[in-house]
Amino acid sequence: MLNSITNKARGINKKSALTWCMNNAIFLVLFLLLFIIIVISPDFLSVNNFRNILTQASTRIIIALGVGALIITQGTDLSAGRQVGVAAVVSASLLQAPTYAYRMYPDLPVLPIFVPILLVIIITAVFGFINGFVVAKLNVTPFIATLGSMIIIYGINSIYYDRPPYGAQPIGGLDARYMNFAQGSFNIGGFMLPYLVIYATVVTVFIWILWNKTRLGKNIFAVGGNPEAAVVSGVSLVKTILIVYTLASALYGFAGALEAARVGSATNNTGNMYELDAIAACVVGGVSFSGGIGSVGGVVTGVLIFQVINYGLAFIGVNPYLQYIIKGLIIIAAVAVDTRKYIKRK
Amino acid sequence: MKRITALATAVVLVGSLAACGGKAGTGATGGGLPKVGVTIYKFDDNFMSFVRRAIETSAKDRAELILNDSQNDQSKQNEQVEMMISKGVKALAINLVDPQAAPAIISKAQAANLPVVFFNKEPDAAVLQSYDKTWYVGTASAEAGVIQGNIVADAWKANPNFDRNGDGKLQYVLLKGEPGHPDAEARTKFAVDTIREAGIDVEELELQTGMWDTVKGKELMDAWIAKHGDKIEFVLANNDGMALGAVQSLKANGYFTNDKYLPVVGVDAIPDALDQIKNGLMLGTVLNDAKNQGTAATDLAINAALGKDPLEGTAWKLDENKAVRVPYVAITKDNLAVAEEAYK
Repeated sequence: MLNSITNKARGINKKSALTWCMNNAIFLVLFLLLFIIIVISPDFLSVNNFRNILTQASTRIIIALGVGALIITQGTDLSAGRQVGVAAVVSASLLQAPTYAYRMYPDLPVLPIFVPILLVIIITAVFGFINGFVVAKLNVTPFIATLGSMIIIYGINSIYYDRPPYGAQPIGGLDARYMNFAQGSFNIGGFMLPYLVIYATVVTVFIWILWNKTRLGKNIFAVGGNPEAAVVSGVSLVKTILIVYTLASALYGFAGALEAARVGSATNNTGNMYELDAIAACVVGGVSFSGGIGSVGGVVTGVLIFQVINYGLAFIGVNPYLQYIIKGLIIIAAVAVDTRKYIKRK
Repeated sequence: MKRITALATAVVLVGSLAACGGKAGTGATGGGLPKVGVTIYKFDDNFMSFVRRAIETSAKDRAELILNDSQNDQSKQNEQVEMMISKGVKALAINLVDPQAAPAIISKAQAANLPVVFFNKEPDAAVLQSYDKTWYVGTASAEAGVIQGNIVADAWKANPNFDRNGDGKLQYVLLKGEPGHPDAEARTKFAVDTIREAGIDVEELELQTGMWDTVKGKELMDAWIAKHGDKIEFVLANNDGMALGAVQSLKANGYFTNDKYLPVVGVDAIPDALDQIKNGLMLGTVLNDAKNQGTAATDLAINAALGKDPLEGTAWKLDENKAVRVPYVAITKDNLAVAEEAYK
């Protein structure tokens, strides 16, 4: 009996084991990384460390889920980081503590915190809509369209940021309610669950439903997989792309508002290069740059891999330059494995 | 045709934007005042924005400034210098992007027989000696480290309870700036050396680069608290940005409530850090005196532009390397007003 099962298992043969490894390479990489770090430093295995990693990954997950959908439609977004920056600066400037001596708006009344947060989500959503418009209506390739808007948005943000009375100063002294919104946590029977992790979870669930259970989700994958066929079957290319860019930017806006409160201050360089981290996390997580392929789980795992690298390698004290090399290698290796997978499918 | 229309629209748009920006770009204008060409390595660097303001204030009614943002790009700065020379400036005040690029700027200035005052980013002493009409205004990089070390040593001696494990040794973690950056190297070395020279035993628990960045400072501190917990007795940061990140991390980990305290020191005295010092969340910082650096650079440049001795009518002194050294100032809760004054 037992024998026959093992025989059967063997019957599945080496080939399928290899395929399984390839298909789940991303999870294997994550576990391998964790394993190496734990071997070098066993005290890495603590609830506190994993909570830190999840907390630090939270805003990045929100950004990556925005970019992920764009990549699935064969798009990309180089302006994501700068949009995070605008959102961080604007919401921080409107939510400084009334007692702080160096406020950007000394006479600003105390606002309910959701007002500035909503405002920055709207601001970035407008940027996203413009990106989508340029891509879908003016037929500018997404790389170029968002390269342009990245620079423009940085300019706008710098003008807003570098003003009297205090000039180009980090915007700090944030309102306690705002800080708590990002830094606080629920105490569940002694276990502290950070709000940030909850926000990231809610966004993840929302995006999962959107990608997997709605018509929009189907359209996103259809547009990315084969635009001509999608149009023929009645999907509006323009509408889908506009929605995807606007939604992605709304997510950057939310992430930016969280980022400022998480860090406790914002500058016009907040968010710089976050788009590259997000894009890297997406491709490592199996989102294909040729469009039509990707999953929410993959994106989240991709972000977590990079956060484990950032946090874990700092924890065990690896030379920071070496960390760059490891990250680069992981990106290339992940995509190389992925590409082989799809070539086989085709 | 379509393309021509698009092009025309673009030209008009750019033209009108440039017209809007023009006023802000050139600063004060005036009749017979000497023209002085200024470059700032990066306008949105928070410290340099105060130096820039000091330059504008002190040059008012004394010189016509041409201000340039080199956008952290040395080749851009070189082009700006050529542009200013062809505009007929009488002196250059240059905040280099890359300190090693000074010879190229000097050769341009020398060809036009113009004086050059470098400020804030220091060229090699040998390069300064290579041309008689060049000077430097800045600080002594080592000094910020020494002063930070003194703040730490004084506080350590005054507060026996800072030695949390009572072993007589100061266990510290250090957030370093960009590796290889002269300020990061000097601040790291001299801060620790100064603490040692004050007769205090030190033990380095962690030293990593936070790249001057608040986010990185916070995330490294998160990891270190998780790793060392209560073993950490002092947090040293090469700048206030990273120190503020560490403070946020400590707060999130329950410090600064119920007598749980960890002293954090930074450098730069940015407003946010002053606020934290006032609230007792940071122990101290080191004021890099933007006002006096900007004023000194302007004074030297204007004198040189008028063909006078660069120090004429000023209180500045040159050291043996043709440099004016503006002193750093230690800032703690006791003398916050000194730093606050610098932002007025």
